[in-house]
Amino acid sequence: MKKLAAACLALTALAAGGCGSSGSASGKTVVTFANWAAAEPATAPGIAAMIKKFEALHPKIDIKSEPISFTDIEHQLVLEVQSGNPPDVAELQGNYLYTLAATQDLQPLGGYGSGAFSKSVIGSELKLGELGGQLDAIPWTVGPIGLWYNKAVMKQAGLKPAPPATWDQLLSDAKAIHKKLPKVIVLGMDTTSREFALDAAWPVMTSFGAVPFSGTTSTADTPAMQSYLSFMRTLAKDGYTPEGQKTGFFRQPAASNQVAFTVDGPYVKGVAQSINHVSDQKFYQTWGVARLPTGSAGQHYSTPTDHQLVMFKNSANKTAAWQFMQFLATSQYSVLNYTLKYENSIPPLASPPAEVAKELDNPITKSFVKSIIPEVIKPAWGAHYSAAYLDVMAGIQKAMTSSEPISSVASGMQTSLKSDLGS
Amino acid sequence: MALPALLILALVIGYPMVAAVIVSLSHYSLLSPVHTFAGGANYSQLVHDPVFWQSLKNTAVYTGVSVVAGLVLGLLLALALERAAGPWRAIRALLLTPWAVPVIVVAFLFQFMFTTPGGIINAALLKAGLIHSALPWLTSPALAMVTVIIANVWTQLPFFLLVFTAALGGVPDEVIEAARVDRAGTWSMVFGIKLPYLRSAAVVGALLMIIQNFNNFPLIWAMTQGGPAYATSTLVIYVYQLAFTSFKLGYASAIGVVWLVLLLVIASLFIRVMRSDRA
Repeated sequence: MKKLAAACLALTALAAGGCGSSGSASGKTVVTFANWAAAEPATAPGIAAMIKKFEALHPKIDIKSEPISFTDIEHQLVLEVQSGNPPDVAELQGNYLYTLAATQDLQPLGGYGSGAFSKSVIGSELKLGELGGQLDAIPWTVGPIGLWYNKAVMKQAGLKPAPPATWDQLLSDAKAIHKKLPKVIVLGMDTTSREFALDAAWPVMTSFGAVPFSGTTSTADTPAMQSYLSFMRTLAKDGYTPEGQKTGFFRQPAASNQVAFTVDGPYVKGVAQSINHVSDQKFYQTWGVARLPTGSAGQHYSTPTDHQLVMFKNSANKTAAWQFMQFLATSQYSVLNYTLKYENSIPPLASPPAEVAKELDNPITKSFVKSIIPEVIKPAWGAHYSAAYLDVMAGIQKAMTSSEPISSVASGMQTSLKSDLGS
Repeated sequence: MALPALLILALVIGYPMVAAVIVSLSHYSLLSPVHTFAGGANYSQLVHDPVFWQSLKNTAVYTGVSVVAGLVLGLLLALALERAAGPWRAIRALLLTPWAVPVIVVAFLFQFMFTTPGGIINAALLKAGLIHSALPWLTSPALAMVTVIIANVWTQLPFFLLVFTAALGGVPDEVIEAARVDRAGTWSMVFGIKLPYLRSAAVVGALLMIIQNFNNFPLIWAMTQGGPAYATSTLVIYVYQLAFTSFKLGYASAIGVVWLVLLLVIASLFIRVMRSDRA
């Protein structure tokens, strides 16, 4: 009997502990924050410091960080929403916002994000978080895709250390680099089966005039797409780009000057310096970033890889959650000690204060702000993107790794897209 | 007496199975709170889905080659080590260690070994003069399947080794002695005497490994994620992608039901073979 009573007591204690995540035992408000910043070695210390600072400034609020890898966070959050226990706040990127918005569980932020906040943030960045005229996400860090070029490697290969203006010029540079430095990865590009891989490929495809789909209409079987696929096949067959690797794979060898070019956001600097510990000046001497080259369309393009913050409707601590979101996105402390220091991204501030502006005064950030951000286009993000991206990436992989005629690859991509988009 | 066990089976196995069939008859997206009855639409889509048929073919190749290779190699090793004595017994223990390694560790281990550039397999083959340039083991549609099968056979070999070692121990000594008296050669001993005794063990082992390989997710996912271009996408990989990256739970469930039926058919064939053996 005593054992039964003890077991019941234990079960009751467990149940009580599991319920009501909104408050801790000390009576503080607990805000849960799902993010990948805490899951990555380069940014984990930074986000931990941010949380500590916020908690020091708001002694009645505790932040419970839920680290989830970038690749898994989208479906993990969908499952949490479906099982009725989403976090209060989450970090999102790209199409993840559209996926989560489709669950109808995101808290509209119009009431929070109006007035002083909306004036403090770059207008176009705020617009990226608007879906159907409703503000669902606020910008946290700004990070468009650019072409990083290693000046030291280019010089070693006998090239002028300047970014190629066209993809043809890049192929010419690639040939020279590959001949002189065969062990160097010429071009880092994400060609995995991830949604982010299509985000990164989108501006490259668009520069060839190729758009795989728009809404539920597949438009993959075009001469422009074949031209793009032929370019990707050349990159693979000539040994310039290792197939099937994610963007992050190239950051470590980039830190050791084993990469000549890489298509990536601003994060390269932060990750490289966390590995090789070079000074900013030394980094700027080695690396530059420019707009992605043009293709036959004759225009430069880029895609946003901005990190955004959302709040969920289920949150029982909306006020505290909003305070935390604001702190992360626009507080000077967070911008200086996380956005710039750890992520090396651009803060979404419309009028950065003097101390922040001083940090933004460097060749990398200037290139992103002046040259790359104006070229940003949005991929065909939406509910259908998550159904379609696999077909596009599978087609790109097929072009890179097989000998199937390019026309057949494009036609196969079209057929798969039609099936998955229901068109 | 059997009621508690039946209740647990009904809860743990029966309920998910029935739920999967119901979901397979719906337009069920994880992104939408509204789910409508679809009838056979998901099954109709499956018939016309080239990725489904490729995944089915990949599953058959992956499972078939892995089981046959594991079985044959396991049998050969069991026969070779049957009379191992003294320090040679340690080899058998060593050969069992792959089974103790977690599958995810095996996946990353083989990924590093076969990666291009930098993998040790290419380095060894280049040094031995067997190839002139590094092979794209994980990024060629043809070679990627070979690579995951090699990794899979490495993990499963110990199972077949154990099964056949135990089965060989069950061969009656009198039968072996009688064969020796009749001056049976090695081949006659193996094919005429020992193999018939190993048949049941082979059938059971093969069935278990077929079921396991049908469901083998972590090895392929960690090594190739079903790529490149669906070249190593098996049914379980495709179902995962449909359910958790495209969020099409209804369609994924339809494929899951087909997969279950396939496994039931295979299992019933094997059970028939075992029953005929006993008869």
